[in-house]
Amino acid sequence: MSSSTDGATQVRDTTGLAAALEAVLFTLNRAVTVLELQDILQSPLPDIEAAAASLSDALLGRGLFLQRHQDQLQLVTDPGQSDVVRRVLRPEYPSRLSPAAYETLAIIAYRQPLTRARIEEIRGVNCEAVLESLEEKGLITETGRLDTPGTPRLFGTTMKFLQILGLRSLDELPPSPQSDSTSS
Amino acid sequence: MSPEITAELERDPVYLVRTPAFDGPIELLLTLAQRAEVDLKAIPLAGLTDDYLRAIEQDHPPLDRLAAFLVIGARLVQLKAAGLMPQATVGEEEDLQAWEDAIKGRLEEYKRFKELADSLMRRHASGRFTFAGLLEPDVIPQARVQVSLDAVASAFRQVLDRLPPADQVTVEMEHVSLAEKLEELRQMLARQAQLNFSAIFRHARTRLEAVVTFLALLELIRIGEARVAQVSAFGEITVHRQERKEAE
Repeated sequence: MSSSTDGATQVRDTTGLAAALEAVLFTLNRAVTVLELQDILQSPLPDIEAAAASLSDALLGRGLFLQRHQDQLQLVTDPGQSDVVRRVLRPEYPSRLSPAAYETLAIIAYRQPLTRARIEEIRGVNCEAVLESLEEKGLITETGRLDTPGTPRLFGTTMKFLQILGLRSLDELPPSPQSDSTSS
Repeated sequence: MSPEITAELERDPVYLVRTPAFDGPIELLLTLAQRAEVDLKAIPLAGLTDDYLRAIEQDHPPLDRLAAFLVIGARLVQLKAAGLMPQATVGEEEDLQAWEDAIKGRLEEYKRFKELADSLMRRHASGRFTFAGLLEPDVIPQARVQVSLDAVASAFRQVLDRLPPADQVTVEMEHVSLAEKLEELRQMLARQAQLNFSAIFRHARTRLEAVVTFLALLELIRIGEARVAQVSAFGEITVHRQERKEAE
């Protein structure tokens, strides 16, 4: 370990930055936004992105897993290790949801961010109760408000949504045959 | 409506409209109304549907006929409503086609999401979760993993759940004194500086006894002779003997 530079404006290569990223995510032990990481790691966004990709690759086949939900990153256990982790943790995870809940989750996951009105248009029924329950379980959250009369809430999925499905990112969702991301 | 359906309807009308302004098959009424060759304002649609409801009760027409009437009826209502509102314009055949396509599109969209929902459900059911790490108690000062009152209360609720429910009330003179329980707990802690929360209630035979034991524990905590701790999240709560700090 060299300590020749005093660290403040040290230029790190991607591997070095990936290691620093790993250390930060391990100690913070929560979802961290790339914006926060730019500040913590004193590096510009493209470098953070490269480091995240490098760390994600380096973790393949290991017990840990780099999860990404939009602009948030979190170090979690690999889905392949869920049995052993559950044995030690005995955690409370949302068990089976209702068919209506999965439907609503699917619509939100593929079309986010979107309003309750749009969800109800697709499902053809009132979704107030099911949205409330999904929000309470931490699987969806308000991501903003639409700039139209009444400023309706916009819904999106959360990190926890990825966690109960063991997905690396939203890109790993089964492909939607035909997605028009323009409507909201 | 597709041409085949229209052709079939013409051979065998869904319903015959008999009003002073129009007399003939309802399909023809729709076609003429769309071309603005019939004034819908002169035709009481409510009366028309009432008549049809009566016809349903008498003849029990097959489901496809009912559906056809519904589609035509809805379109007539839409046209009439549009006619009553001066600004609104109602499109011609292409518009009807677009309207049909929109409905078909919506059904397909819903079906697609239903399939996606099934795949999410299967994925969730496979239990391949990911987990964030838990805080390691050695690293975090003991003060930060102090047990909350809620955790103690819920542990106590678990103790109560194991004891027989208080459904049948047999009134027996039962005497459990707080002072006795306090003394008992003190002795337990004197023998063993650290006890499991559940161990304290091992000898409780009734809910009353458990309640009094719990009160005694709270009292010991209050006066500083015991404290409770939880070594790890989801772990057992332990009760520790503590030297009482004299004189505040």
